[in-house]
Amino acid sequence: MMEALNGLLTGFGVILTPANLYLCFLGSLIGTLVGVLPGVGPLAALALLLPVTFTLSPIGGMVMLASIFYGAMYGGSTTSILLNIPGEAASVVTCIDGHQMARQGRAGPALGIAAIGSFIAGTLGVVIMTFFAPAIAAAAIRFGPPENFALMVLGLVCTLFMISGSTIKGVLMMALGFLTAAVGLDVVNGRERYTFGSVDLSGGIELLALVIGLFGVAEILSNVETMAKTTLLADRIRGLWPSLADWRASWRAILRGSGLGFVLGLVPGGGPVTAAFMSYALEKRIAAQPDRFGKGAIEGVAGPESANNSAVAGSLIPVLSLGIPGNPVTALLLGALIIQGIQPGPLFIAQRPDLFWGIVASMYVGNVFLLLLNLPLVGLWVQFLRIPYRVMFPVVLLLCVVGTYSANKNVFDLWVMLAFGVAGYVLRKLEYDLAPFVIAFVLAPLLEQSLRQSLVMSSDGAMILIKRPVTGLLLAASVVLTFLMFRRRTKTEGGLP
Amino acid sequence: MPWSLLSAPAGAQSDPKADLAKLKPKDFPTQPIEFTVVYPAGGGMDVSARLLAKHVENLTGDRILVNNRTGGAGMVGHSYLATQAKPDGYTVGVVASLLWGDAMLRAQGRWSFTDLEPIAYVNSDALIWVGSTEGPYKGMSIKDVVNAAKDKPNTIRVAIVPGSMWEYILDQIEANSGAKFLRVPFQGGGAGITALIGGNVDIAQGFYSEFRGHLEGGKVAPLAVAAAGRMDFLKGMPTFNEAFGSNEYLWQLVRYAVVPKDTPADRKAYLAAAVQTAMKDPELIAEYRKQGVFFDPKLENSKNLAADLNAYAEVERQFYIKTGRLK
Repeated sequence: MMEALNGLLTGFGVILTPANLYLCFLGSLIGTLVGVLPGVGPLAALALLLPVTFTLSPIGGMVMLASIFYGAMYGGSTTSILLNIPGEAASVVTCIDGHQMARQGRAGPALGIAAIGSFIAGTLGVVIMTFFAPAIAAAAIRFGPPENFALMVLGLVCTLFMISGSTIKGVLMMALGFLTAAVGLDVVNGRERYTFGSVDLSGGIELLALVIGLFGVAEILSNVETMAKTTLLADRIRGLWPSLADWRASWRAILRGSGLGFVLGLVPGGGPVTAAFMSYALEKRIAAQPDRFGKGAIEGVAGPESANNSAVAGSLIPVLSLGIPGNPVTALLLGALIIQGIQPGPLFIAQRPDLFWGIVASMYVGNVFLLLLNLPLVGLWVQFLRIPYRVMFPVVLLLCVVGTYSANKNVFDLWVMLAFGVAGYVLRKLEYDLAPFVIAFVLAPLLEQSLRQSLVMSSDGAMILIKRPVTGLLLAASVVLTFLMFRRRTKTEGGLP
Repeated sequence: MPWSLLSAPAGAQSDPKADLAKLKPKDFPTQPIEFTVVYPAGGGMDVSARLLAKHVENLTGDRILVNNRTGGAGMVGHSYLATQAKPDGYTVGVVASLLWGDAMLRAQGRWSFTDLEPIAYVNSDALIWVGSTEGPYKGMSIKDVVNAAKDKPNTIRVAIVPGSMWEYILDQIEANSGAKFLRVPFQGGGAGITALIGGNVDIAQGFYSEFRGHLEGGKVAPLAVAAAGRMDFLKGMPTFNEAFGSNEYLWQLVRYAVVPKDTPADRKAYLAAAVQTAMKDPELIAEYRKQGVFFDPKLENSKNLAADLNAYAEVERQFYIKTGRLK
């Protein structure tokens, strides 16, 4: 405990210089913008700015890159709420209830709760990181393929709760998500699957292009049809800040999202995207009136937006205390450190306390910057809703195209975006829920790989999934939840469809 | 064109900047030069390319953009370089020898790695086997491990990356020794190292940079390297060839710079000289060494880089033919 406090003091000593504070602020600002712009995610921004950090001190460079990463989680909710277009992949679920709130004139409270939830979750994440980073990292690394598999199964079971409307349609969409995810290289033998000899398909379908298509382009298509002359507002703007009732509904969701996000950020293969989806599913599962979800429930914004922020803190722990990146963005942060000639590993905290604690301290500061930066913006963003849609949609479409292309510089991704845009439009008309499709798409590769890894490394087949205690526990929880869900569905729908 | 004509003059006494200025075409470059990297930002290939770009930029004053054209495990970017990139000198690929496998096994005759002309050697990484410092196999040599896998087949878990040298080296070892390993697939070398430390596999394979931190932390022990000679940074680690009295265990990543075929000779000569001069900068060499790569003496002092690289590629082709991967 004292050690952590001493470390933190060292850290604040390192970063409370004008230059480092400036870099932290700059990173927060860039991160917010990157989050707001649809398509341009933290990965693309970090890659672009990596060369800039060559000329900075190691601590300055890391402070800036890290603040872009968590800053993007703040900004990501903005377009989800205002336009129903996710600013980056971790804000996909925020669209569902956030945008409904905006249509009802409650964009202000939605944006406000997203910013405050992000702040609380981000800060809680750093606090846990401050005191427990080495211990947590040591536990997280024992998390092997069987544990990962069980976690993904639990995630999928939670997704069942996300289905709104027809169960059969929802399950169908999940199956389609699995199939789409199967395109590309087989994770075990490296052979191509469903690529039809196409080089472009051999790497699989790009998540970003798919999400921007399904949510961004499809949204524009259906809006253009109905409101060429009007604005997005169905109602007049009601209130800029979350009301007392909003707070009462959200605070538990924020805390739950913070905890869940932190854990999912920690484990290999997890990260902000999975965290946000699972938090939404969890909120819907435990809500007193699950049918409010999808119609502007503020918990559906507060939970996921908190989860993706604390996931950032969680995902930084394995990188900084062990040198193990769990997702592409943290891999890039590791690359930035290596370019600076620093090799993070188990000895990183002991060898470079200035760097480790400096980064931790900067996250406290950065979260404050981001809150101060984002709250005043709420008033401004809400005004965007007054812009006639015919003026707005070409700009938004352009942003979708630029964002999708900039990620991989691959023109094929634009075709993927367009194709999923049209598919999303049609599916919505037919009242198919898109969220189960996307989450199945995200989880399927992890699920498949961890299952096949588990079976290869097991000496007695599937028994490995039961013998390992964490795996067994998670799988048992999945079974119980599935049972509960079908009982509830049967009750409310009067029999399975 | 013979390679030696393109090299910077051997006498290092002359001012490299002045020599470079003599080679600079009048009309080139008038816009930024793209260094194409076919793997994602932050990985070993990307870091190598960005360090190189920084030094070439400082040396020449030309603007250089590093562009990650990713997808299909490098296939999308390789196809782009070989078939779509304009041969006007504004595209320089910073590629790895994984290009050869892509060309031979996956390009289906649409392009060949000879469509890209090497202009400079950058650096190399050799595949290294590492074991854990805990558990039943601790303290074992590479021979002990292989013998253990022979005595009790299908018990030792090795992390592999499917469809690449991580798997091919296992094919060789199993064919030569009769041992059998369990192959646990991962998406990259780093993920396998993580699994090793977490106790989920027994052997991992990777590059020095991927496990150096854990080596310093006393978590992993290096077993053997698949290179022609021992590594400077791990003198005590034998090569596979030493351990097994063979010469076929050569699995390394060679990083080098290419331009698309038909790039104008003067621009190609200028780019080659620029990259080669940058590669002589002790500061860049020191940065690469910090990163944990090594320099293959054969390629470093090559008189004909294209021919020497082709010789390496040919060895790989023979392996594919022998194992039935290529007809």
